[in-house]
Amino acid sequence: MAALLEVQNLVKTFGTVRAVDSASLVVEPNTITALIGPNGSGKTTLFNLITGYLPPDSGRVSFRGRDITGSDAGSLYRRGLSRTFQQARVFPALTVQENLTVAAGYSWGQLFGRRLSRSDRERVGELLEEFRLGHVADLFASELSYGQRKLLEFAAVLMSSPSLIMLDEPTAGVNPVMIETMEHHIRQRHAAGITFLIVEHDMTFVMRLCNPVIVLDQGREIFAGAPAEVQNNPLVLDAYLGS
Amino acid sequence: MSSRRYAGPLRGVVFFALLASLPSFNLAHWVLNILVFTLMYAVMSSSWNLVGGFAGYPSLGHAAFFGIGAYAMALWFQHHAIHSGYEPFLLLPLVGLLAAAIGLPVAVIAMRTRSDVFAIVTITLLFVTQTLAFNLRGLTNGAQGLSIAAPPFSAGTFERPFYYTLIVLLALAMGITFGVMRSKLGLSLAAVRADEDKARGIGVRVLGVKLLSFSVSVGLTAMVGGIWAYYEGFIYPQFAVDPLVTIAIVLMTFLGGRATLWGPVLGAFILETGQQTLAYSLGGSQFYLIAYAMVFLLVMLLMPRGIVPSIQDRLRQRRRRIEVDAGAPRPSSPRMTRSSDTRSSVPALKGHG
Ligand SMILES: Nc1ncnc2c1ncn2[C@@H]1O[C@H](COP(=O)(O)OP(=O)(O)OP(=O)(O)O)[C@@H](O)[C@H]1O
Ligand SMILES: [Mg+2]
Repeated sequence: MAALLEVQNLVKTFGTVRAVDSASLVVEPNTITALIGPNGSGKTTLFNLITGYLPPDSGRVSFRGRDITGSDAGSLYRRGLSRTFQQARVFPALTVQENLTVAAGYSWGQLFGRRLSRSDRERVGELLEEFRLGHVADLFASELSYGQRKLLEFAAVLMSSPSLIMLDEPTAGVNPVMIETMEHHIRQRHAAGITFLIVEHDMTFVMRLCNPVIVLDQGREIFAGAPAEVQNNPLVLDAYLGS
Repeated sequence: MSSRRYAGPLRGVVFFALLASLPSFNLAHWVLNILVFTLMYAVMSSSWNLVGGFAGYPSLGHAAFFGIGAYAMALWFQHHAIHSGYEPFLLLPLVGLLAAAIGLPVAVIAMRTRSDVFAIVTITLLFVTQTLAFNLRGLTNGAQGLSIAAPPFSAGTFERPFYYTLIVLLALAMGITFGVMRSKLGLSLAAVRADEDKARGIGVRVLGVKLLSFSVSVGLTAMVGGIWAYYEGFIYPQFAVDPLVTIAIVLMTFLGGRATLWGPVLGAFILETGQQTLAYSLGGSQFYLIAYAMVFLLVMLLMPRGIVPSIQDRLRQRRRRIEVDAGAPRPSSPRMTRSSDTRSSVPALKGHG
């Protein structure tokens, strides 16, 4: 089967820092692929390049067999490529329901329709039910706990019916119960056919959830394979322990 | 619940009925004159709010479009005879469309920048427009200004046509604002205001809603400029394109509360009537400006987000307390939700809302 996402020789420099240094990787459909690597190895930058938040200096990205290099984030989102942020980004002054509604990728004509139509409420209601956020539907996002905000951001990108979701550290700064919740929802959506690419520092989380695991070091892939092999790979050990 | 649903429209009907009935109280001319100017500012603040409030783009260039409207009106009647006193009012929609069309490319360029840079770009636009008004003598007659034939309205009720036209325009501006708040347009603008990159990343039509709000906003502003030109009967560049107009609009909107329906109107009524009355009672001295500034500073210190949002917050908090006291199924405060997470939520709380 063809790869869902393919990154070829992507490069991004900030001044003298080569944040992403000719990175290549492949995400197969229906996997939960992990992207790990030491701090500053370029994971977030790579996410930004793939999802259209930053233009790459060079290299190529293709998604579902089509070249998407340099496409803008909004159109990629509409085409089923969505992501969340390391620091959860939700709209604090909008309610939880509104945060979900605004993420549905509306057409021009729908802009003039009701802010929250009946069908919005139904759709959002189902999602809130699934994520057990129903009781906070009318609260402002600013009133949620950090973990709830991460969950909300995750739920929101589901409004566009994505085929690939890229999560940047979904469990960072989140309590253990919420980590389990997050895992549960990822598994459910994975079972429903969504592919995941997850940046994560929590190794036990990665080990029990992800396969394969890709390791990034100094802006390039140094390993890709089954989770069991990661821990014994000398290159990986070197990247984490060495230099 | 139903009483709250009808409270908004009712407030609007009462407000406009009151406004419309004011002239029948035989008010003095100077009072009506203040009201005309107050309405002008109420319309302009409401319009500015569409882009400065809802979209979060603090334009300082709106006075340029006020001037464009004023000159458009004056120029038209340099070349066309006025057949009836009401004719200039009928021209207003065209003036609005013209300014909206000019606003479109301006927005495409200016709205690539944000916040403080955007403010600087737009105030530059204002000074460029003013310079053009002074120097395109063939068109604007430069510093000599332009005049429009005096309206043939009887002296006793001279202000009324202007006053009623402005009421219609205010209803239009507030109606648009209301529509924006109730539609996905408003939702999109709120997302743009909070985090534009994130909004773009989740498929919000960022550029489209920005351009639309700017265009509509400056179109309405220009229509006020057109009315003003006709009301004054003559225009000079320094008054038609006046930075003080921009500043007043911005202050009024901040005072009343950005991104609210009533905030800009309230701000205009407080500051414009206050300023004019102070100017009237303190005479020609500039002391009224100090008093004006004091009022503004005092309110902004007490209510940094403006009057209307502060009141809304307080009402919202009180409503929650009442609901909790009555055992309503909803968390009362951020504190309650912060300590709990989704798993520990009591099943009975689910499914609400
Ligand atoms: N906008 C930027 N400007 C300058 N340097 C940047 C920028 N973004 C990232 N960098 C640098 O690029 C490198 C890679 O950063 P990046 O955030 O992609 O790493 P990461 O793998 O996500 O790290 P972490 O695990 O800490 O989140 C770092 O050295 C960082 O300082
Ligand atoms: Mg990162």
